[in-house]
Amino acid sequence: DMEQNNSLPPFQGLASPQGALTPVMPMFSPMMPYGSGLTPQPVTNTNSLSLLEEQQRQQQQQQQQQASAQQSGMPGGSGQTPQLYHSQTVTTTTLPGNTPLYNTTPLTPMTPITPATPASESSGIVPQLQNIVSTVNLGCKLDLKTIALRARNAEYNPKRFAAVIMRIREPRTTALIFSSGKMVCTGAKSEEQSRLAARKYARVVQKLGFPAKFLDFKIQNMVGSCDVKFPIRLEGLVLTHQQFSSYEPELFPGLIYRMIKPRIVLLIFVSGKVVLTGAKVRGEIYEAFENIYPILKGFRKTT
Amino acid sequence: MAYQLYRNTTLGNSLQESLDELIQITPQLALQVLLQFDKAINTALANRVRNRVNFKGSLNTYRFCDNVWTFVLNDVEFREVTDLVKVDKVKIVACDGKNTGNTAE
Repeated sequence: DMEQNNSLPPFQGLASPQGALTPVMPMFSPMMPYGSGLTPQPVTNTNSLSLLEEQQRQQQQQQQQQASAQQSGMPGGSGQTPQLYHSQTVTTTTLPGNTPLYNTTPLTPMTPITPATPASESSGIVPQLQNIVSTVNLGCKLDLKTIALRARNAEYNPKRFAAVIMRIREPRTTALIFSSGKMVCTGAKSEEQSRLAARKYARVVQKLGFPAKFLDFKIQNMVGSCDVKFPIRLEGLVLTHQQFSSYEPELFPGLIYRMIKPRIVLLIFVSGKVVLTGAKVRGEIYEAFENIYPILKGFRKTT
Repeated sequence: MAYQLYRNTTLGNSLQESLDELIQITPQLALQVLLQFDKAINTALANRVRNRVNFKGSLNTYRFCDNVWTFVLNDVEFREVTDLVKVDKVKIVACDGKNTGNTAE
């Protein structure tokens, strides 16, 4: 039995002293890169407005994000935790029970050390995205009257507004389509939904016979909202933060807080509800809320 | 000039078919008859109709172009005080009520 321990087969993960009889999943394989960054990227410069391609592209992005999250060695480990390969033979008596000796997660270069938690904890509240506004260039001139007459769910009143207003049900959005070929897409609840919706509108235009492309898609604005679950003394907040706040209850019941970093505008209400807008990326909404939360806690109404 | 909206109705179509059958009538005269029909039906509906019908259904599609609304509704109930009519699909073409003199069909 000891003989078996001396000649461990190569690349067997846990060098379990109980012997090679214990089935062990190979944890350390030279074939698996440690987040080498060489994950293959899908080709995005396609002219096809195929929705199937768009959905596949979004799924691939999600998978890549999950894969890279695993490989960065999140503390607590989701997925495979890298183990040290112990090459020396071990001569020990077998332990009672089945617990292998090398069970602890050693610090490898890939395991990040969690920074010491800051004095105040995070709020535990995540703002929910309510609206995303994006723009895209279809890359060709459009005849708006043709589009309004042939597409479904379209409005066109050139005397009032020089664009076709079109709507789709999934994702529930509204698009403004201009004769220059540029388009605005509003109403989506996430970045991917906004992009998918914009591609659907582009496909409608393409099916009407225009050589539509999908150029320079960009998220222009994101709006989020949340509830701190306690009433707020807006009058106090505007006194101490007057360089950032404007509060005129006779004009508007909410306090308008213009945060510098990140550059986000927050509407703060007595009820504790908060609206955040002006973000180009989701992280700015989250960051702005984490910044304002301790300030709001300081102005909690106690009566 | 009144809306030519009502030419594609049971009444309007019957008139057009009858005019087509009357070979001795010149096309110009037939056109004058239809224009008179347009005026007559528009004033009649505006002045001589008093009843009110409610309808409710789900919206399938809508369109607004050239100041004309076109709706397609599904599973619609038309209610008058007296009775109820249900239909699976109804197409509604609507022009502006204020007299803008639009002659689009």
